[in-house]
Amino acid sequence: MATTACFIIVSRNDIPIYEAEVGVAAKREDAAQLHQFILHAALDVVQDLAWTTSAMYLKSVDRFNELVVSVYVTAGHILYFIHTRLMLLHDSRNDDGIKSFFQEVHELYIKTLLNPLYLPGSRITSSHFDTKVRALARKYL
Amino acid sequence: MEPEVSIEGSSMIQVAVVPIGTVPPNVLRDYYSMLLPLHTIPLSGISSFYTEHQKSPFAHQPWDSGTLRFKFVLGGATPSPWEDFQSHRKTLAVVGIVHCPSSPDLNAVVDQFANSYKSYPSSLVDRCFAFYPNDSQLEEGSKRGGNLRLFPPADRSTLEFHLNTMMQEVAASLLMEFEKWVLQAESSGTILKTPLDSQASLSSEEVIKAKKRRLGRAQKTIGDYCLLAGSPVDANAHYSTALELGRLTGDYFWYAGALEGSVCALLIDRMGQKDSALEDEVRYRYNSVILNYKKSQDNTQRVSPITFELEATLKLARYLCRRELAKEVVELLTTAADGAKSLIDASDRLILYIEIARLYGSLGYQRKAAFFSRQVAQLYLQQENRLAAISAMQVLAMTTKAYHVQSRSSISDHSIHNKGIGSDKADGGKIHHQSVVSLFESQWSTIQMVVLREILLSAVRAGDPLTAWSAAARLLRSYYPLVTPAGQNGLANALSNSSERLPPGTRCADPALPFIRVHSFPVHPRQMDIVKRNPAREDWWVGSAPSGPFIYTPFSKGDTNNIKKQELVWIVGEPIQVLVELANPCGFDLRVDSIYLSVHSGNFDAFPVSISLLPNSSKVITLSGIPTSVGPVTIPGCIVHCFGVITEHLFREVDNLLLGAAQGLVLSDPFRCCGSPKLKNVSVPSISVVPPLPLLISHVVGGDGAIILYEGEIRDVWISLANAGTVPIEQAHISLSGKNQDSVISHSSETLKSRLPLKPGAEVTFPVTLRAWQVGVADTDNTRHSKDGSCPSLLIHYAGPLKSSEDPNAVSPGRRLVVPLQICVLQGLSFVKAQLLSMEFPAHVSETLPKFNDASNSSLGEHVNSESKIDRLVKIDPFRGSWGLRFLELELSNPTDVVFEINVSVKLENSNEDNHLADQDATEYGYPKTRIDRDCSARVLVPLEHFKLPVLDDSFLTKDTPTNGIGGGRNASFSEKSSKAELNACIRNLVSRIKVHWHSGRNSSGELNIKDAIQAALQTSIMDVLLPDPLTFGFRLVKDGLESNNPDPVKESDLPESPASKSSVLAHEMTPMVAVVRNNTKDMIKMNLNITCRDVAGENCVDGTKSTVLWTGVLSDITIEIPPLQQINHSFCLHFLVPGEYTLLAAAVIDDANDILRARARATSAAEPIFCRGPPYHLRVLGNA
Repeated sequence: MATTACFIIVSRNDIPIYEAEVGVAAKREDAAQLHQFILHAALDVVQDLAWTTSAMYLKSVDRFNELVVSVYVTAGHILYFIHTRLMLLHDSRNDDGIKSFFQEVHELYIKTLLNPLYLPGSRITSSHFDTKVRALARKYL
Repeated sequence: MEPEVSIEGSSMIQVAVVPIGTVPPNVLRDYYSMLLPLHTIPLSGISSFYTEHQKSPFAHQPWDSGTLRFKFVLGGATPSPWEDFQSHRKTLAVVGIVHCPSSPDLNAVVDQFANSYKSYPSSLVDRCFAFYPNDSQLEEGSKRGGNLRLFPPADRSTLEFHLNTMMQEVAASLLMEFEKWVLQAESSGTILKTPLDSQASLSSEEVIKAKKRRLGRAQKTIGDYCLLAGSPVDANAHYSTALELGRLTGDYFWYAGALEGSVCALLIDRMGQKDSALEDEVRYRYNSVILNYKKSQDNTQRVSPITFELEATLKLARYLCRRELAKEVVELLTTAADGAKSLIDASDRLILYIEIARLYGSLGYQRKAAFFSRQVAQLYLQQENRLAAISAMQVLAMTTKAYHVQSRSSISDHSIHNKGIGSDKADGGKIHHQSVVSLFESQWSTIQMVVLREILLSAVRAGDPLTAWSAAARLLRSYYPLVTPAGQNGLANALSNSSERLPPGTRCADPALPFIRVHSFPVHPRQMDIVKRNPAREDWWVGSAPSGPFIYTPFSKGDTNNIKKQELVWIVGEPIQVLVELANPCGFDLRVDSIYLSVHSGNFDAFPVSISLLPNSSKVITLSGIPTSVGPVTIPGCIVHCFGVITEHLFREVDNLLLGAAQGLVLSDPFRCCGSPKLKNVSVPSISVVPPLPLLISHVVGGDGAIILYEGEIRDVWISLANAGTVPIEQAHISLSGKNQDSVISHSSETLKSRLPLKPGAEVTFPVTLRAWQVGVADTDNTRHSKDGSCPSLLIHYAGPLKSSEDPNAVSPGRRLVVPLQICVLQGLSFVKAQLLSMEFPAHVSETLPKFNDASNSSLGEHVNSESKIDRLVKIDPFRGSWGLRFLELELSNPTDVVFEINVSVKLENSNEDNHLADQDATEYGYPKTRIDRDCSARVLVPLEHFKLPVLDDSFLTKDTPTNGIGGGRNASFSEKSSKAELNACIRNLVSRIKVHWHSGRNSSGELNIKDAIQAALQTSIMDVLLPDPLTFGFRLVKDGLESNNPDPVKESDLPESPASKSSVLAHEMTPMVAVVRNNTKDMIKMNLNITCRDVAGENCVDGTKSTVLWTGVLSDITIEIPPLQQINHSFCLHFLVPGEYTLLAAAVIDDANDILRARARATSAAEPIFCRGPPYHLRVLGNA
C-alpha cells in the first residue's frame, strides 16, 4: 500500500466530482491540500497529453518532488461532456497496480454513470462508491 | 541564480542604473522607462563616438548589422562570485540618475556618484545623467565636465533623443574598454577564479592542472567579451579554442560555460532565423551543456554549480517554449523543479519557481503556472516580512484566475461574457445544463479556499486591508459550508478588522454576506393598476384588460413570460417596493448597516434600510425607492453596506449559485440551509418609468376592516376616495366586479362624477348600499369568509388629462382602482320551513250576522280606528268564527349568538278598486314583532286573510285561472304551460307582498329572503287563499221576530258586552233564526239550499226518528235564486228539546253552475253538481233537560 495517494475524479469543465485520500500516511491537512494543488496543476499536462495517444491509461504524466501523478482518461473525450479523468497522485512506482486500480474504478464509475438518478457531472456522493474505491486502493496500491 | 535567464543573456552588458541624491520614485521610474528602450544600440550608431586606438581584437565585428545589448538593472546588483566565469554577470557600466530640482548641489551629487560607483569594481564605464538642471546648474555642470552629463529641460522626445545619443557614447566607450581588456588578456593572460576553484586544495598536481586549464578559461572569457562586443564570429572562434582546451583538461564546468557561449554566439549570428536545424543544434548543444554542468558537480565541494545546470535548463526551456513542444518543455521544467530540492539558497529557489511559473504561463499552462506561483508565494510568506508579504500577495493575485477565485474587480471584462449567459437565461426562461456547468468551472473548493486564505494572510501581513477584506469576503461567501462556525467567526472578525483600517465608504468589488435574491416584484397593488386608454371611446378602459371569460388563452401562450416581464411600469414620484430575500447561512449575527437597490440607470432614488440577521436565518425584506425620471430602470442587484465596506450584490450571481445548487454543482444553497422555502427563480423584469399619473386611494369610512353583515342585512357603507397623486383626475367611472355583485344595491357614482376634476389632495365620499347575500351551505362551517373572493369590488376607472405635458403625442394611460368591499357575511336567522296551515273556528250563532269573510272591510276598520298594536292582531271573533282561515307558518331558527326580532308585514296592493276605499291600495299590515333568542327557533304565523278577493268573478278567473270556460272562447289558445306561468306570476305577486324584516342589535336590520319557500308552500292552495267561496252562509237569531237585516257591523263589534246572553238559546222554546246566504259572484245563482242541525255527537237531530230538534219552516230542498252580489234571508224556527251544543250547517247545490263556479270548485266534468258548504255555526242551548 502506498504511503501517500490521493485519488480524484475530474469531470467535464475540470470539476472534481470525487476526491479521496487513500494513502496510509498520517493525514495532514496541508499535505492533502498540496496533493490537490498538484493534481489540479497536472490537468494542464493531461489536456494536451490525452490527445497524443489512444491509450486510456496515460501512466505518470506529471510529478512534483517525489509525488507522481498518474492519469486514466475515460473514452468519452470525443463526447466532451462525459470526458472524465481519473487522477491519482502517488509516491509508489507500482505501475501495474495503478493500472488495475484505474480500470476497476473506471468500471465503478461507469456503474455510477448508469444510475438514472445520477446527474452526469455532479458530485459522486455515494458512500458505496467511496467504500469500493478505498477497498480497491488497499488492494492495488 | 538570476531571474529571466535566456540563451541570449550571455551577450548582454549589465548596466547598473543608480539614483543619485534624492529622486522621487515616480520620477525615477519615468527616467528608467526612457532608458529601457535603449537596450539595443546598433553598432552602426556608435561609430561616431568610436576611435580605434589599437588594432581591434574583434576582427569580424559586423559594424553594419551588429548590436550591443544592455541589461539595465535598477539600483544595481550585488557582485556575483561567478562573474569571472560569465562576464555578462559583471556590472560593466554604471549610470547615475540625478533629478536636479531635488538635488541642487552638483558637487555633492558628483561625490555621491563617485561613492556609489566604487561599489561596482568591475565597472568599466560610468556616467551620471542629470535631468532638468536649472541655469546655474547648467553653467556649473558645463564647466565641470567629467562623467556628469546634463540634460537641459526639454520635452520627452527631445530628452529621449539626447539619452539615445548619450547611450551610444556609453556603448562606444564600453566597446573600447572591451577591446582594451581583450588585448590585455591575450597578451598577458588573466587569473580567472570561480567559487569552485577557491575551494580546491592546491596540490602540486592540481596546480599543474590549473595552469593547463587557465588558457582555456581565458579563451572562454575572451569569447564572452567578444559576445558582449557584438561580434559572434570572433566569440565563436575563441569558444572553439576554449572547448578544445576544456575537453583536454577535463574542465567540465568551463567547458559547459564555453558551450553555452557558443550557442549564444550561434543564435546571435543567426539572429532572426528559426529553423528546425538550428533548433536541433541548440537543443543538442544545450543538452550537452546541462550534462557537463551535471558532470562538474562534485559532492565534496561546498559550493555547487547546480544553479548553472538549472539555469541552462531554464534557458533551453525558454528557447523551446512553444505550444508544439509543450511536452519537451514540461519535461525540462519538471526536471528544473526537481532541482529545487538541491538549492541551498532560499532566494535561488524563489527565482527558480518564478521562472518555472513564467515559462508555464507563456506555454499556456495556467494551472501549472498558478501552482508554481503559489510555491513562490509560500516561499515569500516564509520570509515573514512586510515586503515579502506584499510580493506574496501580488503573486497570489495572479493565480486567482487559474483557481477561479478572482476578485470581481479583476474580471470586469469577463463579467460581460457572464452577462450574456445571464440574459440568455432570462430570455429563454430555461438554461441549458451545459452552460450552468460552465458557470462553476473548476470548483476545486479545497484549493480555492487555501488560495484565498493565503491571500488573506499575506494581505494582513502586508497591511493591505482592502485585499484582505476582499479575500475574506470571497472566502466567506463562497465557502461558508466548508468553514467551521469558529472559522466563520474568524473571517467575520477579519472583515471587521480590515474595515477598521479602511476609510469609511470604501467600496469593494467582492460582496461578502448576506446572500440576496429577488423574492418578488409586487406588481402594482391592485389599487394602482395602470390601464391603457383608448381616447376614441367614451368607456376608454374597455379592451385594455383581457376580454373574454378566460384568463388563459392558448394564443398568448408563447409570450406570457415576456408580457409578464414587460408589464412592470413605475410612475415618477410614486414609491415602489421590491421584495428581496436575505440569507445569512453563517453562525454569527450579521448586521447589515444599510441595504438598498442598486440602480445604474440613475433615475431612481433608493431608500436604504438596515437590518440584522440571526445566525442561519433568512428574511424577506421590502426595499423601496422612488423613480425620479422617465425611462427604463434596471436593477441588477443591491448595494450593501456590511462589515464596514460597501459592496454590490448582484442578483444574477445568486441565481446562478442557486441554479448550481439545484444541479448539485455547488456546495450548498444558502437559502435552503437557512430554512427558506424553495422559490421559483424570479428574474428581474424590465421596468419602465412613466410620467406622473393621478392616484386615487380609497378607504371605507369607519375603518377598513371587514364589514360584518348578517345574511340579508342591508347597510350603507361610505367610501372615501382621495387623489394622492400630483395630477388632477378628469374622468372617473364606477363599475362593479367580482362575485355577489347583486349585493351592492346602489352606489352613487354621480357623487364622484359631480366632483370632477378631482384636484390633487381632494377627497370625495359617497355611499354604497349593501345587502348581504346568503351564506352557502358549503361554507356554513367557517363563519368568516371575506377573504375567499366572494366579495364584490368597486372598479373605479379614472384618468388624468389626456395628454401629458412631457410628451404631447402620447396618450397618458388611465388607472383602475379596485375597492374591494370586504364583506363578511355571518349566518343570520335561518329559515327552516314554511307551511300553510288552515284553521276552522266554528262561529256562534248570535243575533248579529257574523262578519263575513269580507274581512278587509272590518279589519280595515279596526286598523283605521285604533292605533293600538293589539288591534293589529288577527282576532278571531267567536261569533264569527273562521272558516278556511289560512296561515302561513314560517319556522325560523337563530343559530347566532345575538337576538333577532322578526317583523312581518304584508303589503296589500289591491287592484280591485270596485267597491273599496281608494286609500286601501298601498296598505301595509304590520304584525307584532317576534323575538327569537340565540340558539332558539320560533314560528311566525302570517295570516293570509287579507288576500281574499271580495268578489268571485270572471275577471279574476280569466286572468288568473285561464282554465275557466267563460274566458275559454278568448283563452282557448292558452296552453297549459302559460296557464302555469300565469299562476306562478300570481303567486309571486302574492309572495312579494309578504315581507319578513328582522332587527338585531342597534343597527343591524335586514330582510329574510324566503320567497321561494313561501312560494313552495303556497303553490298547491293558492286558489283557496286568493278566491272567495261563491256563496257565503251565515245564521242569525231573530229577536222578537224583528229582522235587523242590515246591522252595522262596526257597531255590533263595538258592543260585545254580553255576547253570551245574546247568543244563548233556551231549550223548549221556539227560536226564530235566519239563514243568510250571500252570492259572491256577479251572476245570478240558482241553488238548492239545505240546512241541517247536528248535536254534539254529530248526529243529525233534525231528520230521523229520534230527532231532538223540532222546526218550522223549510230546512231542506229550498230552491232559491240569488241575484249577483246580493244576499237573501231564509227564515225558520228551531225548537230544541235537549239543551246542549248544536251545530248548524248550511249547504247548497248550485244548479246550472257556470264555468266560473266549476273552476272554483275544481269540478272535473260539467255534469258534476257543484256543492257549496257553509262553515259550521255553534249554538248553545241552555235550560234543563
